[in-house]
Amino acid sequence: MDMQIPTDWYLTLAAILFFLGSLGIMIRRNVLIMFMCIELMLNAVNLTFVAASRHFGSFDGQVAVLFILVVAASEVVVGLAIIVSIFSKRSSASVDDLSLSKG
Amino acid sequence: MIQIGSFLFLAILILLGASIVIFAKNPVHNAIGLVLTLISLAVLYLTMSATFIAMVQILVYAGAVMTLFLFVIMMIGVDKEEERRESIKVQSFLVVGLVFLLFGLLTYVSLVSGFKWDLLFPQAEYAVIGSPESIASLLFTEWVLPFESVSILLIVATAGAISLAYGKNRNLG
Amino acid sequence: MEELLLLALLLLPLGTAVFINLIGKYLKVNQIAQISSLGLAGAFSISLLLFFLLGLNNFESLSFNYFTWIDAMNVSVGLRWDGLTGVMALLITLLSFIIQLFSVSYMEKDERVATYFVYFNFFVFSMLLLVLSSNFLILFIGWELVGLSSYLLISFWYKKDSASSAGKKAFILNRIGDAGFLIGLMIIFNIFDSFDYDFIFSNTNLLNSNQASLIAFFLMIGAFGKSAQLPLFSWLPDAMEGPTPASALIHAATMVTAGVFMLVRVSPILTKAPNVLFLIAIIGTITAFFASFVAMTQFDIKKILAYSTIAQLGYMFLAVGSGAYVAAIFHLLTHAFFKALLFLGAGAVIHAMDHEQDIRNMGGLIKKMPTTAYTMLIGTLALSGIPPLAGFWSKDEILGSAFVAGGFYLPLWLIGLITAVMTAFYMGRYWILIFLGEERTEQASSAEEVPKLMRVPLVSLAFGSIFVGFVNTPLFHGVEKTLKEVLYNIDVIHPPTGLNFILLASISVLAGLVGLFLSNIIFIQKIKDPFKELQDFPLLPKKIRIILGNIFNEERKIFVLINSALLFVKKLSFNALYLDVYGRKVFVDGSKSLSKFVAVSIDQLLIDGLINNLANSSMYIAKKVRTLQSGYLRTYISVFGIMSILLIAFIVLSIGRF
Repeated sequence: MDMQIPTDWYLTLAAILFFLGSLGIMIRRNVLIMFMCIELMLNAVNLTFVAASRHFGSFDGQVAVLFILVVAASEVVVGLAIIVSIFSKRSSASVDDLSLSKG
Repeated sequence: MIQIGSFLFLAILILLGASIVIFAKNPVHNAIGLVLTLISLAVLYLTMSATFIAMVQILVYAGAVMTLFLFVIMMIGVDKEEERRESIKVQSFLVVGLVFLLFGLLTYVSLVSGFKWDLLFPQAEYAVIGSPESIASLLFTEWVLPFESVSILLIVATAGAISLAYGKNRNLG
Repeated sequence: MEELLLLALLLLPLGTAVFINLIGKYLKVNQIAQISSLGLAGAFSISLLLFFLLGLNNFESLSFNYFTWIDAMNVSVGLRWDGLTGVMALLITLLSFIIQLFSVSYMEKDERVATYFVYFNFFVFSMLLLVLSSNFLILFIGWELVGLSSYLLISFWYKKDSASSAGKKAFILNRIGDAGFLIGLMIIFNIFDSFDYDFIFSNTNLLNSNQASLIAFFLMIGAFGKSAQLPLFSWLPDAMEGPTPASALIHAATMVTAGVFMLVRVSPILTKAPNVLFLIAIIGTITAFFASFVAMTQFDIKKILAYSTIAQLGYMFLAVGSGAYVAAIFHLLTHAFFKALLFLGAGAVIHAMDHEQDIRNMGGLIKKMPTTAYTMLIGTLALSGIPPLAGFWSKDEILGSAFVAGGFYLPLWLIGLITAVMTAFYMGRYWILIFLGEERTEQASSAEEVPKLMRVPLVSLAFGSIFVGFVNTPLFHGVEKTLKEVLYNIDVIHPPTGLNFILLASISVLAGLVGLFLSNIIFIQKIKDPFKELQDFPLLPKKIRIILGNIFNEERKIFVLINSALLFVKKLSFNALYLDVYGRKVFVDGSKSLSKFVAVSIDQLLIDGLINNLANSSMYIAKKVRTLQSGYLRTYISVFGIMSILLIAFIVLSIGRF
């Protein structure tokens, strides 16, 4: 595996992935799908880190990826627990129903 | 040649998966699309010589996290359909605005810089292989404090999840 | 020693006032009366002693500084004793003692009698402070305190609405005069840098005519406010709401003369301002004429005397304006006696008539109250200027001085003469309607003589009215000698002597007699239609009688016209030329509507409206802004995204290094 692919291609891919994830959050109403889009964004960041690690030739990027992975996992755990406790008693999984904080 | 081809193939897969995540109706389809994205990403890591990360990605992300997701989808969202119409009035404007802004910014930046993105920092000469030993040598020396904190984080997350899920239904005593 | 005596003189009435104030509730009326009498008798004796000492010293003035009050302005609290203060102090203490005796009997049934004596003594203290002061600032303090005592005493029966508004009116009009006074004081301080009399009056050569005129003008305003001249006069008739002895002391004899006193005090400055002097004389004369005109048709027993006081004060100002300062003080002295006498007599009549004050309801009281009647007769004659009573000497000196001053003062002399006729007329009418004729009401029939404590003051004042005039006859000039030092040797106009004097004197006496004669024929003989009477008048030859009778019968219209004109004049006189009414309309109602206008349009509409609109609009904006908080997660996320992109764009654009 040599270095024929320039780093900016990876960065572009990560940017598009991130953009798609954020788009998904804004569009979809189902809370689970919004969560999955968050995962997409986190993965885009992971890709950025790995590309940077490859670019600079050091492993710090990959260590960071590891941490992000762990955090993402725990976040999913807790988030899903919350979602379960809120939405198991409702009929729809729309996040628009949670508008109690309206002024 | 082959690297470029593989990169392009994997990129298409990733973007395809992402699109499925966004635009599918059935939540299970969304989950499958996400799995596709994750595994393609892992392969992409492999092409970048980040072997350890690739494996961890498949194990943790595509394995554990997605299983969790599927569990919850089955519990809650599988037979619920969303309406297609946007219920919040200003939302479409905001989305369109965001898209335009982002594209505008990116185009501007690319035009101004003349598509030279990585001339600020020179690239390393040869690839480094992200083997477990190399990562561990960094993880347990320089990054040991974040490592420990993250382990505490995991414990806290677990405890929190359990209390959230069980707390209302049963008396834990 | 004189230092301490002066201080004792000043503080004795104050001490009495404070003492009665503290312990008055526990004492009986008799005891309070005794304490008060003791205090005032003591004050009189001290002033007598001091006057005597002063006389021995050839009336050289003494002045003492007790302590420094304001260092930066060189003001100290000091008292002064010279001929002028001596005369005034004697007058004040003697009169207050006599009147206080009267008040004991008059006010003994009142429930707030202790408070009355406190106010009374406080007044004496303030008046003495005014008179004994050695600089302008202390004078002003005394001035204000006297105004305060006047207010307290006028509105003594404060539960009556008319009494409290009369008190307010007095104080406010007084205050307007005080504003002028203050301006005058400020000018004085600006020029001389001191308030001290000695310093100022020995340095009057520093003044040019303009400065002196300015000072004199403003001080004149102050004097007019205190002494009820035009246009600040209307408080004095209303001030009759107070107890009669208080009116006797304050509004006849002492407080209202403070203005004259003050002007005589500043005579060295006044002599440098001849224009202002003339103005003072004019206003004094016009006031005298006007007041006498009004007094001729009044019915209230005290209001007649009030207008009479205004008129006599006008005479005093005429004297000041003609440069005859001695005559002014002399008239002040004599007027105090007979006016106090008249007021106390009126008080006796009111007391006997069970608080009836309308003279139309009296009559024939001479049979029931002989002492009162005869003492009041003496007072009436004195006021009309009949020799050898006191009023003749002083009034004649004034008119003579005006005549001698010549030039523009001659018309003033003439008006003064006509006023003397009117004075005699209304005083004659006054006495005749009260005491002669038949009793017109039940009360009049059942009136009886007043107790001894009221009669003794009347008699003593009657004696005063007879004899006090002799202190300044053309042969003796007692007052002039007393005042010589005070006037700092300025030129004083003297009344003429010799033949001129007798001529002028006879003219004034004639004026008085004419007035009395007219009142006699109208009120005693009840001659209603003089022309008809004239037809039957036996002394005139028959031919003239017939001619007059023909004129009378044929030209009836003229007489009808004259009658209606007379009625109109009568109405004018009774309503005091409607001055009071118009004054009230313009100033009182005017300021009321002005304040209403300001309150509604400026305060309510503008200011309140501004604040209210501010509050309302902020609430409105808040309501609109609140809708931003929709509670929708996705909206928040989208906005967040947009803002972060904008932030990155901002950073990128500002770096611009790609």
